[in-house]
Amino acid sequence: MRVLIDTLLLTRRALRETVRQPANEAVNAFIPLFFYVVTVGGLGEVASQAFGVEDYKGFQLPVAILQGAAGVASGAGLAMTLDIQSGYFEKLMLTSTPRPAVVLGRMLADGVKAVILTVVIIGLALAYGSGFETGPLGMLLLVAGSGVFALGYSGIGMAIALKTGSPQAANAGFVIFFPLLFLAPTFAPTDVFADWLAAVANVNPVTYILEGQRALIIDGWDAGAILGGTAAIAGICAFTFSLTMMALRGRVA
Amino acid sequence: MPAIAASQLVKHFAPDIRAVDGIDLDIPEGQIFGFLGQNGSGKTTTVRMLTTLTKPTSGSASVDGIDIAKDPAAIRRRVGVALQEVGLDELQTGRELLTLQARLFGIDGKEAKRRVNDLLEVVTLTDAADRPLKGYSGGMKRRLDLVCALVNEPRIVFLDEPTTGLDPVTRDAVWQYVQQLNKDRGVTFFLTTQYLEEADRLCHEIAIMDAGKIVAEGTPSALKATIAADAITLSFADGTSALDRAEELLRTFEGAEDVRRVEDSVVLYIRDGASAVAQVVRSLDEAGLSPAQLRLTHPTLDDVFLRATGHYLEPQESPAPGGGADARAH
Repeated sequence: MRVLIDTLLLTRRALRETVRQPANEAVNAFIPLFFYVVTVGGLGEVASQAFGVEDYKGFQLPVAILQGAAGVASGAGLAMTLDIQSGYFEKLMLTSTPRPAVVLGRMLADGVKAVILTVVIIGLALAYGSGFETGPLGMLLLVAGSGVFALGYSGIGMAIALKTGSPQAANAGFVIFFPLLFLAPTFAPTDVFADWLAAVANVNPVTYILEGQRALIIDGWDAGAILGGTAAIAGICAFTFSLTMMALRGRVA
Repeated sequence: MPAIAASQLVKHFAPDIRAVDGIDLDIPEGQIFGFLGQNGSGKTTTVRMLTTLTKPTSGSASVDGIDIAKDPAAIRRRVGVALQEVGLDELQTGRELLTLQARLFGIDGKEAKRRVNDLLEVVTLTDAADRPLKGYSGGMKRRLDLVCALVNEPRIVFLDEPTTGLDPVTRDAVWQYVQQLNKDRGVTFFLTTQYLEEADRLCHEIAIMDAGKIVAEGTPSALKATIAADAITLSFADGTSALDRAEELLRTFEGAEDVRRVEDSVVLYIRDGASAVAQVVRSLDEAGLSPAQLRLTHPTLDDVFLRATGHYLEPQESPAPGGGADARAH
């Protein structure tokens, strides 16, 4: 219970920081929206013929959402390095708060920011003409999934931050996302991939997240795809939480 | 039960740095205990071990009767700590920072609000409480950092060089507040300092730390009494050879308890220095030595430190937190 209360207190603090320096989040919103519009503008007309995708706006929407969520999820690690460098991290460690709350608070803040950003991206995509097959309930599921993905994914930057204390290294959490994204069916379905790329995509968790989200947007309630996406997000969370807790134990006595 | 106790506490850092090299402590409740030493002498590492931020390499210690290795969380609930580096989140306001700190000690919202208001008043930061910390001066940040250490109403407070970099007025205010808390609430203070004046004025007991070891310990007056001799400090205009000759001559001077060479001076420790001055000058004169400066002083902690460590304590000022002068608007 104490962990939960203190996590929420520290989440509020992290969100307050975001409100006071909103420029970072503006960049996190701009980049996925820019790529979304440009990709749909460049490939939307030929997608049906080339890849057999009728609703390319819907096909690309999960890419924008994941890109936004991964961008937001780089915040926790960077902010943690600043806390470490300023000495504020030690001040928090000297309170009686359960220590995991200090990292979970920042990670949860990234999840909340991703939820807000996902709502914005979906709203703009709908205004741009994208469909959404599963309606409001599907949207709710997608938004929640995006938040949990960001919460989990922020653990990579957080673990690096706790291990190194270096802002440059912590930022690598975001950089790692790009290979994962481009080794997944980001621009086209895996059917049109070369064999080696399809094999890599098949073991890439981002593939399952994209397919689960696409099911909600384009195909409808495809239980297999949705469960696959949920399992991939859960797997990422389990991996990054373990990594983060190990790094936390390494940093504090 | 002592407030703080340690037995053969050791901290080594790789590859071969013995930061703390087997210290023993026995600090009773309600005491202001001063840990005096230069930068790098092991003071901060000791504080970090006693406050559970760093694990000792060997030895044992307890704070408020709790073993630091067995229940560090219980120690954190009971103590307040202000580290040498003022660690503040500059995007928060003073009130937000203190309130969060209180809540993270498990204090409920209403009580946290009351304590925060009281503490802000104590350090005269009520007017600035709702401004982000990035606009605070160095002195304001230091004061806020100090009351952060008190938000959980601890019985034992560790202050690691709390006044380094502060202007004299703020330093004096901090001293008064420490004395007041000690007197009114019986708070035990473990205070590290580079300032002899601070140790002399505030502390009931002092330990002098040098190269990871405690080299002298006692009340300020008892430590000064161990010298029991006045100091006659002599310097010469004509350089090293004069110093060498004076040192040699003074070593054979009748009643000399000790002679120390310190930088460009020679210090003669002798009982009843006032009576000895004339004879010292005559002897030097007979040897063809005329001092450019002569100073007679009663024993000070400076002399105690010199005796214990072989060198004077030279405080190394770090800039005030945030780098600003305390003259900024409060």
